[in-house]
Amino acid sequence: MASLHPHNGTTNTDSKPKPKPEPITESEIRSEFSHHDPTIARINNGSFGCCPATIIAAQNRHQLLFLRQPDHFYFNTLKPSILRTRRLIQTLINADHLDEVSIVDNATTAAAIVLQNITWSFFTSIFNPGDAALILHYAYGAVKKSVQAYITRAGGHVIEVHLPFPVRSSSDIVFEFQKALHMGKANGRKIRLAVIDHITSMPCVIIPVKELVRMCRDEGVDRIFIDGAHAIGNIDIDVKDIGADFYTSNLHKWLFCPPSAAFLYCKMSDELSNLHHPVVSHEYGNGLAMESAWIGTRDYSAQLVLPEVMEFVERFDGGIEGIMKRNHEKVVEMAEMLVEAWVTELGAPPEMCASLAMVGLPVCLGIKSDGDALRLRKHLRECFKVEVPIYYRAPVEGEVGSIITGYARISHQVYNVVEDYYRFRDAVNKLVKDGFTCALLTK
Amino acid sequence: MDSEDPRSNGDGINHVSKKPKLSSFITESEIREEFSHHSPDVARINNGSFGSCPASIIAAQKGWQLRFLRQPDDFFFNNLQSQILHSRTLIKDLINADHVDEVSIVDNATTAAAIVLQHVGWAFAEGRFHKGDAVVMLHCAFQAVKKSIEAYVTRAGGHVITVHLPFPVSSNEEIVAEFRKGLASAKANGKKVRLAIIDHITSMPCVVIPARELVKICREEGVERVFVDAAHAIGSVHVDVKEIGADFYVSNLHKWFFCPPSVAFLYCRKTPISPDLHHPVVSHEYGNGLAIESAWIGTRDYSSQLVIPQVLEFINRFEGGIEGIRKRNHDAVVEMAQMLAKAWGTNLGSPPEMCPSMAMIGLPSKLGVFCDDDALKLRTHLRDRFGVEVPIHYQVPRDGEIGSTDGDGCVTGYARISYQVYNTLDDYIRLRNAITQLLHDGVTCQMLQRE
Repeated sequence: MASLHPHNGTTNTDSKPKPKPEPITESEIRSEFSHHDPTIARINNGSFGCCPATIIAAQNRHQLLFLRQPDHFYFNTLKPSILRTRRLIQTLINADHLDEVSIVDNATTAAAIVLQNITWSFFTSIFNPGDAALILHYAYGAVKKSVQAYITRAGGHVIEVHLPFPVRSSSDIVFEFQKALHMGKANGRKIRLAVIDHITSMPCVIIPVKELVRMCRDEGVDRIFIDGAHAIGNIDIDVKDIGADFYTSNLHKWLFCPPSAAFLYCKMSDELSNLHHPVVSHEYGNGLAMESAWIGTRDYSAQLVLPEVMEFVERFDGGIEGIMKRNHEKVVEMAEMLVEAWVTELGAPPEMCASLAMVGLPVCLGIKSDGDALRLRKHLRECFKVEVPIYYRAPVEGEVGSIITGYARISHQVYNVVEDYYRFRDAVNKLVKDGFTCALLTK
Repeated sequence: MDSEDPRSNGDGINHVSKKPKLSSFITESEIREEFSHHSPDVARINNGSFGSCPASIIAAQKGWQLRFLRQPDDFFFNNLQSQILHSRTLIKDLINADHVDEVSIVDNATTAAAIVLQHVGWAFAEGRFHKGDAVVMLHCAFQAVKKSIEAYVTRAGGHVITVHLPFPVSSNEEIVAEFRKGLASAKANGKKVRLAIIDHITSMPCVVIPARELVKICREEGVERVFVDAAHAIGSVHVDVKEIGADFYVSNLHKWFFCPPSVAFLYCRKTPISPDLHHPVVSHEYGNGLAIESAWIGTRDYSSQLVIPQVLEFINRFEGGIEGIRKRNHDAVVEMAQMLAKAWGTNLGSPPEMCPSMAMIGLPSKLGVFCDDDALKLRTHLRDRFGVEVPIHYQVPRDGEIGSTDGDGCVTGYARISYQVYNTLDDYIRLRNAITQLLHDGVTCQMLQRE
């Protein structure tokens, strides 16, 4: 990932390099996140992210600027502020052109933009009924619905690629994907779009997107969209290196922005002018980035605080790279501590984990459905004050023996402490000791 | 709104207080404080564009934002949906809708337009509408809505018919007559009119449209569906969606209803053949009805949608509640408009009964507003040089018409002034004096620099 450090020769908007700030202390970090519920062991940064107090304050300043004199803000301030954010993203993700970077609410919105464009292609007969879109079976639920709403409804065929979980290595993923791609193309079917997660949500695994993109290109897939919702601030992103046509990631998950803001990268092409934000306003036809920067009166403040966020991350040793590295090491360490305590397994090897890890839960807990997983999550929240999402992994035909059917997706972000994970460890140990099963929760 | 009288005997009967509780109404000083975050240097007479939000509501919103940030999972699973439902229920009562299912909360009228028009786009794509089928809109429809029509109707092969309404205008009858004419000529060309989009209060120039009558005409003329864009309506005119009788009705709550940016409701009348509308940002709730879909469109800040209970409390601190606020705003803006028209030797663009909490006042012809660019330059100049925030409208003279004149020529520029609870007489005096000063200095729009 391109770095913001001046010594890399990257363009810096300041003329003088700023003196490196004092590294943030543990006590300052606690202060930054003192608005978090102190009674909760918060190990689900993946779902909704987090936002430090400094950034909330910055956001409030932007909000008040608008409320103070909205016309002035609209005519003179808003556009340049969004432009600043786009430039920062361009650098962070190594995009060639600024026009390639649009700011939207979230990855869900980005998906709607990309997919609605596909609908038009079907409608105008550029694509034909039966042409296919390829998605992962583990694609995020909202994205699957969007594919249904925009592709299935328009006459497209949807291919779901089943990937193994637990998974032992990236090559397992590559192998399965290759198989599915070939099968998808059987009978001369044209694959118009591939939607590939960079980090799947549930179960959470880093996908070798660069290889998969290359495979898709080799097999003549028209367009490739990477859903990197979790990626930025979690792993390196180099959109040129990955080579996809579209790439989205949420800034509020792992990059400390308030809810909510995301970028949608669209590689420069003739098609780019056909992409539109579905909420059409004055800027329609002026390019997706311009369209997205004004979709009617609303609060754009979450999109404006990225400069302050970059200052915030620079207070940490190694900046965002340092944060990512330490989060990853910590979450792996905690995950291994948990599997040792519970005598279970990780769902994926450490190199396929970012700042999240899938930790097998003891089989005796009897997680036998999605409903069980959700109820167990609620039980952990209410009775043990642990916030952690639970994944139900259905047994696959032909599997023998005692199979782990439940995994916890733990996360590590700068505000976490080791006690959060001890509390989770002890909660599960207690449940096991008490002979708890999920069946008890449905009574 | 009835409130439990604490002096009651606890007999469970709701005693409606008959005495006006004068001492408990909000004071001038409290109002000033509620809007103390507004720039004190600006005569803020453009409430129409971006609305306004009192400090109490900003604080309430912050409370909701922090609740989410504190424990987002708990908020998502246990609070958000019930709070949005509560907001929807309050809105349903405000607008006299039959079912809460008919009320969806979205970001703004622009989003609502996208929802309705995307549906039209699908109808063309799926063969329910045929190439050349028409959508009718007003010539002065909001620019964003026009673009949305281009994006979803024209692009899909639909035909767009524009109805010109007169301005300046002197009565509802003029509007009705023009609309009837416009609709008739659409039908004369054999076009099937699938949708009519009618403003309840046009934005520029700003006029209250007799929406109920126009909806009736649409029904008589066989227009399939009617969408009323009432972006400005709630909090500035009486809103009764059943009375108006449209299929779709949208209004922004952040313009005249004191909500923070941004929140709007989209009302969709329930009938046996209600069309299947979807939010364009598709998420987990796809297929569960527009209201439920709109209540979750991915992780974002929904706090502006949750403060409606607090807003109703705020409004009821004013005598007469929202009706009282509306009436006083209207009376004040008309009074200010007449003061300005008199000072400048011009006229109002519409009679008082067709003004909501905004009024269009002719600008002296000597200022030379001859195009949209001139209007924008003048607006910028008023902001930068005089600290007056007011939108300026350029009225294209219609073929063969002279339109309005003052002593010196054709009046082609209008200022759209607004009046909201935070405004004072001084705001309008500043505008009056600014224009007088420009005239005195012989300034015309041509002389003003482009930004």
